[in-house]
Amino acid sequence: MLVGIPLEQSNSTIKPKECATEMSDYLVAVAEARCKRSFARVFNYFAPRLRSYALKQMGNEALAMELVQDTMSNVWQKAHLFNSEKGSPSTWIFTIARNIRFDMLRKLQNRKEDVCSDDLWPVLCEQTADANETSLDEQVTLEQIGFMFESLPAKQKAVVEAIYIDGKSQQEVADELSIPLGTVKSRTRLALQRLKVMLNDND
Amino acid sequence: MIKFHPSARQLSDFVEGTLTPAISLMVSAHCDMCEKCQRFVEIETESLAAQMVSSASAKLDDSGDMAFQFGDMLAQITALPSDKQPESVVTASVSHHSKPGASTIELDGRTFTLPRTLHRYIDKTGNWSSLVGKLWQAPVDLGNQGVANFIFMGSGGSVPEHTHRGTEYTLVIDGEFSDGLSRYDTGDFIFMNGEKTHTPKAEGKEGCLVFSIVDQPLHFTSGLARLLNPFSHLFFR
Repeated sequence: MLVGIPLEQSNSTIKPKECATEMSDYLVAVAEARCKRSFARVFNYFAPRLRSYALKQMGNEALAMELVQDTMSNVWQKAHLFNSEKGSPSTWIFTIARNIRFDMLRKLQNRKEDVCSDDLWPVLCEQTADANETSLDEQVTLEQIGFMFESLPAKQKAVVEAIYIDGKSQQEVADELSIPLGTVKSRTRLALQRLKVMLNDND
Repeated sequence: MIKFHPSARQLSDFVEGTLTPAISLMVSAHCDMCEKCQRFVEIETESLAAQMVSSASAKLDDSGDMAFQFGDMLAQITALPSDKQPESVVTASVSHHSKPGASTIELDGRTFTLPRTLHRYIDKTGNWSSLVGKLWQAPVDLGNQGVANFIFMGSGGSVPEHTHRGTEYTLVIDGEFSDGLSRYDTGDFIFMNGEKTHTPKAEGKEGCLVFSIVDQPLHFTSGLARLLNPFSHLFFR
């Protein structure tokens, strides 16, 4: 059995309701007096729990720690937005973490501008809008790409679909279609060239 | 009266943040209009938060190292300044949110109030264009999530019979319509997939405004997004 952090153990004996009141009081002290000791109590209780939650959800230690840090930074900086009448500290902190994770996944998938967590769950609604919004006319819609894709010759489309949409390797595609690897490569190249031309015409 | 709701599973996934952004938008807008689902979401949020707090085991590998990392993190965080703004600024930003006109869209002299979730998309809504018959459409660009549409069916207006590639989510914003399968009222959350064929038609005097999203199957969406990669320099300038 591994040894836990002492603070973690001392907190685990507290009943949920008492704990909520206690954590709530600490958050008020952080909001009103920037009390670092109170924040440390909140941090020591929630940070390890957030970490395991994030680890389970994202399966990546570095991302999990990033989520803990971002979430707890928000708690420190926006404690004044916590309202104990609206919910418990754990609910508030859970929603902050959920929103940050939602936006982290959005960034990881390199989605430039779509739906951000603030629209869905205005937890920290004093926040201003995302500054790095890009203009929409700079983007080609999936609809357009889908249309261009449909206009590819059948043989090129099959190869591109298998590689880019089903995520197969070029060798797998060659084996499946019983064609040489070189043919798969040249069909892919031709298809991409064709799409490139269509995208240029689209401009 | 609202009869059609997201499934319990969809609401639960929405709370957890694992629903796709486009569908999350539909579910969130529905919840703005539906007290029943709002309550469900509140309860589910509390329950998931409680799970987060209780399921976390105190088991930490290399607990010494972990304690050091957390200590370091704590010091970094408490070195950050507070975000609390002076009262005057807060008031200003609140009044900005309730700015008149920021929550409605107009068509043909009529004003429609949108659910809160959709307010930010008013700026991203294109012009109304006339489709067949008494149908009007205004596209809402959701970036890489595709295009949603506000569709207005004038009284007696009808969409020709069709089926769907992928799935379609529709939220009734104002009015009512039927589609040969069911009747839908303001606030209803409708899910259609390729298995069904329907013919939406507005029967009331006032016509019907809906917000609609076509959600391609997930592997297809990501596939198309990957197709964009070799050319990203052409349009992400």
